[in-house]
Amino acid sequence: MLIPPNQINILLITAPEFNLEYLWWLTILFFVLSIIYFIGVFLIRNRITSTNNRTKDKKIEFSPMINEFLFYEDSNTKEEKMNYLNLKIQIRELIKNDFDRQVLTEVLLDLRKDLSGQSQAVLIDLYKDLGLHNDAYNKLGSRKWQVVSSGILELTTMEVEEAYGLIIKFINHRQSTIRKQAEIAVVNLKEEGIKYFLDNTKYKIAEWQQLKLLDVLRHKPNFNAPQFGLWLTATNTHVVLFSLRLIKYYNQNEAEQSIITLLKHKNRDIQAEAIECIKDFHFVSALTTLKLVYPKASHDIKIAILDAIGEIGSKNEVAFLEYLASTERHFNIKGKVNSTLNKINPESVLPTKNISTEDFYEAEMDLEDTLTTVDEIKKEPELSITQPDLNITKELENEPEISEEIIELESATINSSPKEETETEIVNETSSEEVENEVALDIEIENTRSEQLEIDLTFLPHVNDENVQAENDVEVEKVEEVKKIEEIVLEEEFTFNFLPFVVEENAYKEEVSAFVEDDFEPLFVLDENFNNDQEEVVSIILDESTSNEFEDIDWSTVSTETLTENDSEEPAVIEEPLISFESEEISFSANFMPQEELDAMVILENIAELGDSRELDLLQNIKEENSSVLVKERAEELIQKFLYQSPRPTELFSADNDLSESVFTEIYNLADKETKLILLSEIKSIGDEKEIQLLESVIKSESKSLAKAAKDALENIKSQLSLEIDVTPKEVDNDSIFDVDFELELSESIKRNIASNDNGSTLFDQLCSMSNSLYKKKNG
Amino acid sequence: MSKRVLLADDDQLLASLLNFRLKKGGYSVHHSVNGKEVKEYLQKEMPDIIVSDIMMPYFSGIELIDYVRNELKSKTPIIIISSAGNEQNVLTAFELGANDFITKPVSPTELLVRIAREINK
Repeated sequence: MLIPPNQINILLITAPEFNLEYLWWLTILFFVLSIIYFIGVFLIRNRITSTNNRTKDKKIEFSPMINEFLFYEDSNTKEEKMNYLNLKIQIRELIKNDFDRQVLTEVLLDLRKDLSGQSQAVLIDLYKDLGLHNDAYNKLGSRKWQVVSSGILELTTMEVEEAYGLIIKFINHRQSTIRKQAEIAVVNLKEEGIKYFLDNTKYKIAEWQQLKLLDVLRHKPNFNAPQFGLWLTATNTHVVLFSLRLIKYYNQNEAEQSIITLLKHKNRDIQAEAIECIKDFHFVSALTTLKLVYPKASHDIKIAILDAIGEIGSKNEVAFLEYLASTERHFNIKGKVNSTLNKINPESVLPTKNISTEDFYEAEMDLEDTLTTVDEIKKEPELSITQPDLNITKELENEPEISEEIIELESATINSSPKEETETEIVNETSSEEVENEVALDIEIENTRSEQLEIDLTFLPHVNDENVQAENDVEVEKVEEVKKIEEIVLEEEFTFNFLPFVVEENAYKEEVSAFVEDDFEPLFVLDENFNNDQEEVVSIILDESTSNEFEDIDWSTVSTETLTENDSEEPAVIEEPLISFESEEISFSANFMPQEELDAMVILENIAELGDSRELDLLQNIKEENSSVLVKERAEELIQKFLYQSPRPTELFSADNDLSESVFTEIYNLADKETKLILLSEIKSIGDEKEIQLLESVIKSESKSLAKAAKDALENIKSQLSLEIDVTPKEVDNDSIFDVDFELELSESIKRNIASNDNGSTLFDQLCSMSNSLYKKKNG
Repeated sequence: MSKRVLLADDDQLLASLLNFRLKKGGYSVHHSVNGKEVKEYLQKEMPDIIVSDIMMPYFSGIELIDYVRNELKSKTPIIIISSAGNEQNVLTAFELGANDFITKPVSPTELLVRIAREINK
């Protein structure tokens, strides 16, 4: 049977009934307690504050009295003496009060810290004279450890020696604070205190406590340190350790045997301290014990022992150390063993870690030799092939250089006189005999070099004999024959993989033909003979380049003339290649045009690279002042380029251009209202059509005053402009650059030139960068 | 006329004691307990010598030297009182132009001698 929900009368959660009256009582109770608490805090705080104020006042009251006492002198006048006596009586009356006595004690303790010398002594006397130390004695009997401790401190500070007998009882107090205070007091109050302390202390002497005790001893006037070696036999290890430290501090080296014996102590700290003493006092007799102790010592002790052996040991210990070096496995200790060995016997152990074997370097040296030889072999044909168009003298110049290098090398390193003689002979022959000997000479040089060259001689100065050049001018033809033979070898060996070349055959051909015909006007033209000589080389290059692989071209053989073979009508200007190889260096030959012309070209190229339309005037000047066709053409080219790049008059005031924006806009946007009004009045008087946009935007703004001012200004400007429009046709200047009503159009050839120049590369640029690249490549 | 000494120290007890000793030594002493008072006094008049603790509220002894030497452009002798183990401050004080220093605990008689020496220089 189902029960309707409204009839279910079961409480799921039942809460106990709570009498609200109790709740109120509890609230009242906690409120009262909190009030009591806050009143208590307030009262205690007030009491402390009032006590502090009273203390402060009392201190100020006592201060002049104490001053009088401290600086009282027998030489004072009668009146001063009477005053002193009155003060004494007065102060005795005051200290009858406990609080006053306590304050006076505090004052004297404070002053004790700040004063020294005679004043301090007087202060201590005053303390005792007033009987304040009796209060300190009473404190010693207190049950509270802090009171006892403060009593001991007070007696110690005021140097009450009479309290020594009372304080020594606290040396072995179970409360560490009292004990430590008593230790310091005992050591401080009497000279024999340290002995008593070392004899009787049973507890551990902490490191900090040791330092404090040492500090007390250090500052104790006329302190005669006892023989601390007497306590090396103490049963308290801390006493032994402290004694060792005191022995070291006071340099007491009488207890040599005891200290050596302590090397065998089970306590590591004592061992370490004993080793330190042995090292400091240079106890050589301890070496045997040190070596004996070593095997069973801990790592730290082992290192300390090794350090000591290094300090006091002799070469007799080398065997022991070498044994350790071979047996020790711990890297730290092994390192210490090695350093100790080196300390005793310097340089006996050399670095071994991460050191490459000699084989490694021998292999490197072999490789270097091989490379040097290969380079030299390559260099020989280079010299003869790259300068065919010059005179053969260049080639001849280089030969003696190499010979001299060899001679210098030999005289410096190898004392093999027969070889030296051979070289000298070779030099003499080369400088005086016919060119036919050159082939033989080359062979001889190669042979000699392969036998002897082990040192890089690039640093040696090259010596050219100009006479040799003159004498051998006649022999050009013969050398040309040699050149042609070696040319092929060089083609294969001398490669420039970094040069960007077109891979596709057709594209390359098209580009080259277009480049030659249209873009590049001849900069330099050679005579026909030279071109004929070079045709073969160029054909080889082109053949090579038209293959589908990446091309290797000997640029040393390519001069500008190879690209201008069709323009042979112009007179030959140069007789040198642009790039030449002399010895191992590649130099760029810039002697193909007069210096003035070269300077002008350099300026033009710099302008081409860095300049813009602002250089138009300068370019115009260069064009007019220079007679060179080359310079004129280049200048004209740049003028056309910059004219093309410079903004057109019609663009100057376009909506996108900043110039179309009013100069007031930025200021206006940053200004406050008052400034804006001033600006608008200024615009009204001096503004023009550029301000219209700004004014229109201001008119749309919320501020009525600004909108009104802008409206006035706009009307004013518009009225002025309408007047100008009426007048302008009569005053127009036909020469004004702003009235150009046509677009500048460049010829196709100029556009192409400009396009190519945009890449930053004229022929001149290309050759310059090419020579630089070659130079960098050659020098690694 | 007795020489004027400006004694700048926040420790009332020690200052009172030194004040007493200096007065007894024949000097006219003005005591300032903090840097503010020192500055106010120096703006009114310049003493014959300044004896200052390094550690003072508001205006340390170091700042006082800097103030006297660089702002007031005065060559008045300055003796610094410093605690033991405060060597760095002492070095800084000398760099800034302090003439002498004395460490705590101070011997009033020694201070008197040093003051006399600096004034007589």
